[in-house]
Amino acid sequence: MNKISYFPGCSAHGTGREFDNSLKYVMKEIGVELVEVPDWNCCGATSAHVLNESLSLALPMRNLIQAESLNNKVMAIPCASCYSRHKVTKQKLDSDSKLKDRIQSLVADGGGGSVGKYNGTAEVKSMLQFLFEDIGTDQIKKAVKFPLTGLKIASYYGCLLTRPKSVTNFDSPEFPISMDRIMESLGGTATDFDHKTECCGASFSISKTEVVYQLTEKILDAAAESGADLIAVACPLCQANLDMRQSEIEEMKNKKYNLPVVYFTQLLALAFGVDRGKLEFHRHLVPIEPALVKIQTSQPAQSSVQTEKTH
Amino acid sequence: MIKLGYSKNRLLEKVNKKSGANVLECYQCGKCVGSCPVASTMTVTPRQMMQLIKLGQENEVYKADSSWYCLSCSTCSARCPREIDIPAVMEAVRHLAIHEKVVCDKPDVNAIRKFHDIFLSMLKSYGRLFELRFMAEFNIRTFNFFKDIFLAPKVLTRGKLAFLPSSVKNMEAIGKIFEASEKMEEKLSGEEMQ
Repeated sequence: MNKISYFPGCSAHGTGREFDNSLKYVMKEIGVELVEVPDWNCCGATSAHVLNESLSLALPMRNLIQAESLNNKVMAIPCASCYSRHKVTKQKLDSDSKLKDRIQSLVADGGGGSVGKYNGTAEVKSMLQFLFEDIGTDQIKKAVKFPLTGLKIASYYGCLLTRPKSVTNFDSPEFPISMDRIMESLGGTATDFDHKTECCGASFSISKTEVVYQLTEKILDAAAESGADLIAVACPLCQANLDMRQSEIEEMKNKKYNLPVVYFTQLLALAFGVDRGKLEFHRHLVPIEPALVKIQTSQPAQSSVQTEKTH
Repeated sequence: MIKLGYSKNRLLEKVNKKSGANVLECYQCGKCVGSCPVASTMTVTPRQMMQLIKLGQENEVYKADSSWYCLSCSTCSARCPREIDIPAVMEAVRHLAIHEKVVCDKPDVNAIRKFHDIFLSMLKSYGRLFELRFMAEFNIRTFNFFKDIFLAPKVLTRGKLAFLPSSVKNMEAIGKIFEASEKMEEKLSGEEMQ
């Protein structure tokens, strides 16, 4: 069985739990074993690098050291921000040995706090990247039992999955297609959505919410204009902004979107035949049912939740 | 006083060294401003920042709200024809402003700084972000007690916010990382001043 190291991130049991939950079903269906990084810590996200550069490198470094102890080739990270911080850290440490030694001194500081030495052997990928590059759309297509035919999907990537290009080296920084291709391999239709990588406002959701309202409105407008039934995302903060702030924007601007925002892994799991009741769609604020009825494929025999929810 | 010339421009030297970019390469095309999702909120646009750095205007650069509004979305740098790492320049300005204690004191910038301070204090306590406590503390410390008050029940009833924190076991290691990082930043900023 294919084994990879898994860094869940802080939102995995909180605001991003549907992502963590659904991707575990996906991995089971495609035969990948997830091994959680032992005693992982927060990557520091935006706050660490904004205030203290040394801290912003030391926190991910500890996780990378912990991951190395698992001896898996790849460490896959669902949250785009966690992915970015770990990848940036790895790149900086691998290309500057003086920096590596300096940050190592912060992490392996003797006594009970000692963690171990950084060797740079764990490869860092986002969950989207792992599924697109290592698994591939052919294998994904083979695992589909319930094609999402008739479902029009706007794939929203956000900023950090493909930018900066020198860090991610994955897909396109302006017009990525990896998630779109995955959605197509599930039988869905990728819409012509032109705000794929426009920033949603990220952590300003809490600290400067008016920015998020402005930026999220543009993204929702573009998704609606593209004819999408729903928006697929691969980042917990993007999901929170597009989903949780949607009704507030509707009220402020007298609009109606009815655009559910789901994790691309929830759609993968759904297409792989996982019972939709298990995929935690009910945790989203914008209800999923109006979009799911658009799926033209008749229900697989084992699903029992469908009848009560959509009719 | 305008200090022209690389050797006399301490600000340019410091920003270039810290960011790894070369601000002198900017030829003021303005593509960054057109790309930036928050340029309209900034009093000094990214392009203007570059010019001010070239002109050695420390006070204006450090006190601008721009570096605090920067989302590090990297849209600007993806399009910059000179391939300047503009988010890195913004980050350098932010760090230098903190080190030299000349920081923008607008209320919304203070709120952003509080957000980051509280986030890090959560990490100091648990090693991971305790989302519920974090949001409550932010509201309290920004005296905005009822912020998102209508959103809170929707999110809580859907089980999206854990009531108990999830913590790192080896908190000693986390504590040491914080302590050592803070000392290191102080040491580095001291070296920058010389």
